[in-house]
Amino acid sequence: MIVKYFATIRTYTGENERRVDDPPATLGPLLETLAARYGTLFRRAVFAGDELNPEIIILVNGRNVLYSGRLEASLAAGDEVSIFPMVAGG
Amino acid sequence: MAKVLMIHPDKCTGCRNCELACSFEHEGQFRPSAARVQAYTWEREGMSVPMMCQQCDDAACVTVCPTGAMHRSNTMANLVDWDAATCIRCKMCTIACPFGNARYDAASSSIFKCDTCQGAPECVTFCPSGALEFIDDEQHVRSRKKAYAAKFKDAFQEVS
Amino acid sequence: MYGWTGTILRIDLTKGRVKRESTDMKTAHDYLGARGLGGKIIIDELDPKTDALSPDNKLIFAPGPFTGTFAPSAGRYEVITKGPLNNVIACSNSGGAFGPELKYAGYDALVIEGKAAKPTYLWISDDKVEIRDAAAIWGHDTPDTTDLVRAETDEEAKVACIGPAGEHLSLLANIMNEMHRAAGRTGVGAVMGAKNLKAIAVYGTGSVQVADPDRFRAAVMNARKLIQAHPVGGTGLKAYGTNVLVNILNQTGALPTRNFQDGYFPTADKIGGESLAAKQLVRPKGCFSCIISCGRVSKVDNPDYKGFGEGPEYETAWSFGADCGIDDLDAITKANFLCNEYGMDTISLGSTIACAMELFEMGVITAKDTDGVQLTFGNTAAMVEMVRKAGEGEGFGAKLAQGSYRLAESYGHPELSMTCKKQEMPAYDPRGVQGIGLNYATGNRGGCHVRGYTIAIEVLQNGAVMDPRVTEGKAGLDILFQNLTAALDSSGACLFSTFGIGGGELAEMLSALTGVEYSLEEFLKIGERIWNQERLWNLKQGYTTADDTLPDRLLHDPIKTGPAKGEVNHLDRMLPEYYSLRGWDDVGVPTKAKLKELALN
Repeated sequence: MIVKYFATIRTYTGENERRVDDPPATLGPLLETLAARYGTLFRRAVFAGDELNPEIIILVNGRNVLYSGRLEASLAAGDEVSIFPMVAGG
Repeated sequence: MAKVLMIHPDKCTGCRNCELACSFEHEGQFRPSAARVQAYTWEREGMSVPMMCQQCDDAACVTVCPTGAMHRSNTMANLVDWDAATCIRCKMCTIACPFGNARYDAASSSIFKCDTCQGAPECVTFCPSGALEFIDDEQHVRSRKKAYAAKFKDAFQEVS
Repeated sequence: MYGWTGTILRIDLTKGRVKRESTDMKTAHDYLGARGLGGKIIIDELDPKTDALSPDNKLIFAPGPFTGTFAPSAGRYEVITKGPLNNVIACSNSGGAFGPELKYAGYDALVIEGKAAKPTYLWISDDKVEIRDAAAIWGHDTPDTTDLVRAETDEEAKVACIGPAGEHLSLLANIMNEMHRAAGRTGVGAVMGAKNLKAIAVYGTGSVQVADPDRFRAAVMNARKLIQAHPVGGTGLKAYGTNVLVNILNQTGALPTRNFQDGYFPTADKIGGESLAAKQLVRPKGCFSCIISCGRVSKVDNPDYKGFGEGPEYETAWSFGADCGIDDLDAITKANFLCNEYGMDTISLGSTIACAMELFEMGVITAKDTDGVQLTFGNTAAMVEMVRKAGEGEGFGAKLAQGSYRLAESYGHPELSMTCKKQEMPAYDPRGVQGIGLNYATGNRGGCHVRGYTIAIEVLQNGAVMDPRVTEGKAGLDILFQNLTAALDSSGACLFSTFGIGGGELAEMLSALTGVEYSLEEFLKIGERIWNQERLWNLKQGYTTADDTLPDRLLHDPIKTGPAKGEVNHLDRMLPEYYSLRGWDDVGVPTKAKLKELALN
């Protein structure tokens, strides 16, 4: 699995993307692992308490996880996860 | 500990909210040509700079004023105030100010000069970029000085 | 008079006459200003058969009631005319500081009629209006024009002008103000050029009055707070500009690539907002009264494409980037600077070049047609060269300057023009995002994203979410956005204020400013009225339901790669419901009942 970061998320992670071998089955634990790695700013960006932060946009293979279970969205080894803050329009 | 109106031109985006806030506060309408602050934009360089009265300690406008209408405020620190009642509109202050920050407005027959909205400057409230600050005079350059100090810190950290 | 100034300035360039008239306040109340007011003037005064480039066309510059106040990010104005690209009511929106200056000079609108005998510019200083000789200025690019005009008028005058593209009547010509802001689309610059009008300089010492100052200030403070708290309006746009959308759209699989042949561009990151911020950004910039500062002051150091200016916006990075198969941000930014200097619409020109690239790769056109240039996808130098040629109107550039519809048709392949109603679609692939496709197809000015920016909900999660891949509910979504935007465009507010506030806040500020009570419902109804009046005009131009469509490619050729691989746009599932919800018959004609409801004849 590849996790890609965009805009301000890159400043929290210090990198543009990360390969994750043997990802967890759902999104929540994946984000937990990443938050443990990258720290508080990343955690606060993706989580709002125990929920997915409404101001984060997470796509799995181009599909917004809001339509596939949010933190329960299932993940497979070959997936591409993209994490964006809400930053723009136009 | 008195406050000064500090400008940070590097943060100015040229939006002129300061002019609108100033005009609205003093005139109750939007007439930015009447604002006491003006933000000038240089389009080719993409830079803008807000300008208003610097409330000089040794103010040229106070020195030349024949009636004392321009005077250092005795109620507020860091303020050169203007008294409409004693002003004869000779406009000597507008000639004397080296920065061009005192202006005669014919429409209202007044001298326009920043008065910090008597200690609660509206331009600062409305500036979206932090280009204007009403800040304690002991701290007003701290952020700029420290930003440059940080560059020295980074440079020396690498080699030591 | 609150909000509005109460005066319209009418200038007849043929007779050299200037007339001041009173703004009809009923019209102002029902249409607000800018897009709505200007559109009504066109409809009331112009014979629908008028040739857009003839002296009989009218060119209107109109701010809105908010323009010139400190309503947040609300200093916009519109250029309204019959658009030469496609005969619609072209209403092209711009920021900068020109609109507010018109208000301070005392005008709700400038209506320019006729045609000057020779190159001319206008100097408007409060109520003093001069029609001046522009012989020494004609031929100059827009930055030089601005400086030259200011040297002859007032160094603080605000200048709207055309560049060489408008002078040679390119259908993609725009009108620039403050050197870097554009009334971009539908060829409004060509109308100005056809009138021999090079520039308008305005300086105003007047004011905009407020009916209820305390209520207005409170409403403004509330609106500011909401926008500043919003991740997009408050921080995101200032940090990255609109160009940060490149990666979002690409990862969604809806970044149109190589003339919409695909929807995914593997090297998109090289041309997105993150790259712009890292390599080219000098500082953010804001228009008059703006608290968002989405503008990018930018520079290119690479000697091949050296330049300094503003931009590129997302649409521009897409049109000269992914759409042309190009991932060189320096070249894209240079193309952007050139378009600003020549005065050309970046969206349409980039898309037209992409169309030409496809024709070239098919062998329909060859190097003989393109002045020896290998005009293939990904050929960076060729793209920049073609932008320059289009701006000059030189060689193959003269063909590009008339847009992709006429280009593709002239070579026997109209299906390769990625346009709706002859105007190029912007940077969102409708096969990956269903609702924006409906907006493109039904848009009153043709391919356009801003008039119904459903992307905010379908992709950006702005306040609500809808799955971009479904068609359910999209008709209603499009109509809501189209109506709200029409009212917003007519008020003088910037579309980006909707990253934070909605119709409710706009209605409240408008009420406090003007002294006329507007509810949210009334505000939206004004938008619906304006949308319908534009539709009626289009019907008179001969547009029918057959024109409410998308290019075949988007309806039948699935996206080839990326996250939206295999998708097409299902317009047929959305259009009938759209007509029905709009209160139109099943061929898209507003019913008598609907027109009566909106007080339209």
